[in-house]
Amino acid sequence: MPASILYHCTCTSVPSSSVIGAPPAPFTAPPPQHPLHAFGFHPLPTLYFCEECDDVSGYYCPNCLFEVPSASVRAEKNRCARNCFLCPQCSNTLSIVSSDPPLNPDNRHPPVINSVGDPPFFLYCNYCRWDSAEAGITFDKPTGLALQLQKTEDSSPDTLEFDRLKEHFEPLIRISHVQPTAITAHTIQTHSHSALSAINAAASSALARDVPGLRRKRVDPNAAKDEYGAYYRSRIDSISGGGEVHAEVEWLKDMAQEEFLLGDVSRLEQRWVGSWVQSLKSIDLKPLRIPLHSKQTKRCPKCRHILIKPEQKSQSTRYKIKLMAANYLPSIDVLLVPPLTAQPSATLSRATGGKAKQSGAAADDANAGQALQQGKTYAFQLAFTNPLYEPIQVRMTVQRPQSKQGKRAPFAVSLPTSSFSISAFAEAWEYDDEEDAEINDDDIEDMLAGRGTDGSLAARDSGKKGASNSTVGVLERKANVTKVGGEVVIGRESDGNVQFNVLVSYTYRADDPTEETGSSAAPKTAVSGGGENKTFSFYIVVDLGTISPAS
Amino acid sequence: MNFAQPVYYPKADYIETDTGNKVSRRATIAGPQNIILGGKTIISSTAIIRGDLRRTGPGHAVVISLGKYCLISEGCILRPPYKTYRGNFNYYPMKIGDHVHIGANTVVEAAMIGNYVEIGKNCIIGKFTMIKDCAKIADNTVIPPNTVVPALVLFSGSPGQFVENLPESTQELFESQTKQYYNRFQPLEG
Repeated sequence: MPASILYHCTCTSVPSSSVIGAPPAPFTAPPPQHPLHAFGFHPLPTLYFCEECDDVSGYYCPNCLFEVPSASVRAEKNRCARNCFLCPQCSNTLSIVSSDPPLNPDNRHPPVINSVGDPPFFLYCNYCRWDSAEAGITFDKPTGLALQLQKTEDSSPDTLEFDRLKEHFEPLIRISHVQPTAITAHTIQTHSHSALSAINAAASSALARDVPGLRRKRVDPNAAKDEYGAYYRSRIDSISGGGEVHAEVEWLKDMAQEEFLLGDVSRLEQRWVGSWVQSLKSIDLKPLRIPLHSKQTKRCPKCRHILIKPEQKSQSTRYKIKLMAANYLPSIDVLLVPPLTAQPSATLSRATGGKAKQSGAAADDANAGQALQQGKTYAFQLAFTNPLYEPIQVRMTVQRPQSKQGKRAPFAVSLPTSSFSISAFAEAWEYDDEEDAEINDDDIEDMLAGRGTDGSLAARDSGKKGASNSTVGVLERKANVTKVGGEVVIGRESDGNVQFNVLVSYTYRADDPTEETGSSAAPKTAVSGGGENKTFSFYIVVDLGTISPAS
Repeated sequence: MNFAQPVYYPKADYIETDTGNKVSRRATIAGPQNIILGGKTIISSTAIIRGDLRRTGPGHAVVISLGKYCLISEGCILRPPYKTYRGNFNYYPMKIGDHVHIGANTVVEAAMIGNYVEIGKNCIIGKFTMIKDCAKIADNTVIPPNTVVPALVLFSGSPGQFVENLPESTQELFESQTKQYYNRFQPLEG
């Protein structure tokens, strides 16, 4: 694996989401060995600038891309109510196909071709060749298929049962939702208790119905008197479920004796994703309407600020509001310098360029392939890219690798401890890559003058200062990218991954950090404008690879 | 991305146009008069682009149009989709947007591919497939004919199916990746 960088997000409980709010003073990232570690760090592009919480802003069908009004989503059971179906065998989308035109008895005239095709119409899978005629489903016209199939869906015993249950419990739920402020905690408790016992009673009576042996033992005499029990007993006759189950069991028994084909029995996922109970025989499976997708608005759970607000149109990739961490935090790349030649890597690859030709992977593999060896010292580089329109000052603090009791730390990391600057981002640099935009460090220092000493940075990694080496420090500064060198010394008896946390703090001068002004204001006006210095800290984890035993 | 190495190619192997397209001399471009390249697009060696499969009938027809900053990798085949409609067999045009990367040995017969789309290697994109903006197709995916891939999703598997939604920053991320790839793709003299 090539060397990589992940960013820590303060919201460790939700894996794929979140942001970095200003961490409280005692806050630290979990060390690499910590079990939480894997969940707390993410690639920068997936992070937001705040913590998120999802909120649906619109539904659409992923196949016909129709934007479904929220009002009808529930009525349509969250699936597409137009002509989009999933194949019951391979869950690919189905096409509507017309039958062959009737052949003329004398072959002289070409067949009469109807503009929409000839009935009966059926659904056909382009992937596994399933067709709905096999399952006994054909249509007279090629539109409004969902409506035509709706009858089968609505009349299935499970749908009927669910509708009755919903009808019965909805008023109960509504009561408990509407009144919580009016009634005391005690009444809520008794109320929810009675609702709970009702559900229990319903469940046990349903169980007793399907499993005859349980009837005498399990049913509580009190529950039997309960109105819900009575409700359910009255339903038993109206539901034909029991007979079907027995038929299925018989079918399976027959199957065990004959030649057994696995494909004849439907798979678990084929039966479970449906909105009603699907047949056990795979030949009888019915096509499913395609489940809807949603576009989501995302908010910070702390301040309720909207982070993501998509445009209404289902296939638009634009956003009315979009606060991504990548637009605020410097993005950081890491490179492990090849150990044999300490020369800059660009010249190295130029030398091998003839062989590598145009496959980019070959050049990348050179870095990815090497393993770290015990007892050796490696140099690495970190490249910081500033996305802001203001220059920033960056300082790094290494979180010491955890050593087990009595054992020495598996590796030691040296990084420059003094802060360094990164120039502001400017659109022009996007176009002119070669221009050497050297910026004087003092300019930025002047600009940030008056900035108080940051207490959180007081704990410096002073022990490494003696190791003065040309590889440690600022190596290159170009446009809004600054490259910094570091060094890692690997212990003689170490193993595992070289992973360490680094606290990155950056300071910038801005009037309003949450507002994207888009103007690359000249540094001097920024000073006279009297904006304040803001410092923001976050953790990253640097992964340099695995230590291999010395040969 | 700052450490990404340049990708070198022998200068004689590629033709560079005024608009910055780089087309391999070893790519098979059939019917070039029916193909539009948007500029800064790379067509690698052994790729096959079938601009000759045009709609029947008189007049000029654009068969395949590619936007800017696209990459057609080695061994890719771009072939316009075809069907028999009302008894007439015909080819239909293929439109590919800007910032589209297509991996090695992938066969594409899509009707439309939007902007900022990444298609992996060894994929099969079936006839008349519609791939919307910022979608991603994983390596070795088979997209059956007539499939619609919505915006900002990842499709994978055979048949290709929805896996997850992509982050909102996909557009910026992929735009900078495709631009950077073009800038890294450098000629080597000799």
